[in-house]
Amino acid sequence: MKTLSRTSGALLLGTFLFLCSCKTPLAPPEAQQAEVLDQALWRSGASFYAQENYVQFKQSLKSAKEKIAREKAKFGWFRDYEPIRAEFRELLQNGEDLLAKVEGLKSSKSKYYSEQAAALSARIERLKQMTDYFNENGPVRKNLAQAEIKLSEAGLLLQKEQFESMGNYLSDSMTFIRQAEQAMMDVLSRYMDRKELEKWRRWADETIVESKAKETIAILVNKLERKLTLYKKGVAVGSYDIGLGKYGLSDKLYSGDEATPEGRYHIIRKIPSSPFYKGLLINYPNEEDQKAFALAKNKGLVPAETGIGGYIEIHGGGKDNLTKGCIGLNDRDMDEIYRQAEVGTAVTIVGAVSVENTILADIKKFEKNG
Amino acid sequence: MKGLTKNLVLVLAIAVVLTGCKQPTQLIDDAKAAIEDVTKAGADKYAADDLKKLNTDLTAALDEVNAQDKKFLKKFGTAKEMLTKLKTDVDALKAALPAKIEAAKNAAIQLQSEAKAAIDEAKALLAKAPKGKGTAKDIEAMKAELTGAETAFAEIQTALDAKDYIGAADKAKSIKEKAAAVTSQVKAAIEKKK
Repeated sequence: MKTLSRTSGALLLGTFLFLCSCKTPLAPPEAQQAEVLDQALWRSGASFYAQENYVQFKQSLKSAKEKIAREKAKFGWFRDYEPIRAEFRELLQNGEDLLAKVEGLKSSKSKYYSEQAAALSARIERLKQMTDYFNENGPVRKNLAQAEIKLSEAGLLLQKEQFESMGNYLSDSMTFIRQAEQAMMDVLSRYMDRKELEKWRRWADETIVESKAKETIAILVNKLERKLTLYKKGVAVGSYDIGLGKYGLSDKLYSGDEATPEGRYHIIRKIPSSPFYKGLLINYPNEEDQKAFALAKNKGLVPAETGIGGYIEIHGGGKDNLTKGCIGLNDRDMDEIYRQAEVGTAVTIVGAVSVENTILADIKKFEKNG
Repeated sequence: MKGLTKNLVLVLAIAVVLTGCKQPTQLIDDAKAAIEDVTKAGADKYAADDLKKLNTDLTAALDEVNAQDKKFLKKFGTAKEMLTKLKTDVDALKAALPAKIEAAKNAAIQLQSEAKAAIDEAKALLAKAPKGKGTAKDIEAMKAELTGAETAFAEIQTALDAKDYIGAADKAKSIKEKAAAVTSQVKAAIEKKK
């Protein structure tokens, strides 16, 4: 019994030593590291940002894992993980490179789209400032509001690192910005037309020359620069800021279009007291306006039952007041003009007189960008 | 004889300890596949935080496997427990996902209502805003901006109809923000007029 027990002890010790000394080689730790790396790649969005490389990594990982499984199937003594370890080391290196590539790509995309969004935001702001100046608050501001909403949505996507979708929203925002610019150009393109500018310049020159020749007072209104200049015997004696209507930069065509007429007029009545302080009524529509209205009516450009309109005045009430087509001034300025103007005083209203002005330069810039 | 049996059992036990602790490969693969599956089902959109937690748990389980793998006496029991729990959690998330999508839908609808209310508030304020000297131009600009917000509002319903609840919510948030900005501007214009 004692012998048996000794034998058992020896057997036990032998087995233990056998299992310990002939311990099978350990599976390469790189295999588990590769699993962790795969998880990191998946979380970083590698399948999206570097799909091809990630698929390649996954295939290599699968192949390496299969090799481990095959090796494990062998009897312990015959296992050799060294070639597989080398393969895993290469896989890990590739995976680390891929992870760096994905992170770099995400970072550059984030930077790129943030810059794009900032540029669009600045463009919207600049357009808004222009609309403030021009009073063009219809389709331009509507489109700008839509552009801002798209930009805001893009910002939310940036926070979620959804760059591709964000790109689409930025593109949508840009579309609305272009529509806003186009709407602005529809109104302002006339101001870049050399023929129009020459015509307005001619009207202005003739008005000044007449004022000098006849030794009279004359009023010149420049719509683009929002200025009224008072001439005495051909010499400018006063310059005043003015306000126009909602569509003041357009040439008046019919009643209710809220546009300010352009042409050579004269004062037909002085109004000492009106809801807008004081007024100087001009002879709109003149002969040219009536011709233009008839032509437009024939072409169907004027709504049915709509007349040509009238009662266009230079009046007080404030330059910040939005008129319906009249020219608004601050009361103190109105007092000065009212005092000097008489029935018959020439009033010439032009779009612009100079090609070289900053406003036109801005418009040209928009046209170029568009 | 009795002692021999005892010793044989002991030998077998040692053999099991030293050779029998295999990596839980199948459990790892199953957990990863389950996570990918639930992601495809929409968890990345509608349960992003839960999904992030599951991924963190998976990383923790893989780290545990990694740690044990380096030891002479490997004990994968904890890792197995972690992976089994992870699989249970993934299954639970998958089961809860329809409810989460429904919640996202309801949240988007709620935001849609809030955006509408913000537009209505701005409109009402604009209607009673004084259009006198110094404010008329601003009021016109704000009216135009609000028209833009109203036009964009229709897109929320389009997104809802397309079951893009996150997109609908983002749209609603942006529109609500824009309408609120208009309201603030109108209030400022009214204040300027006083």
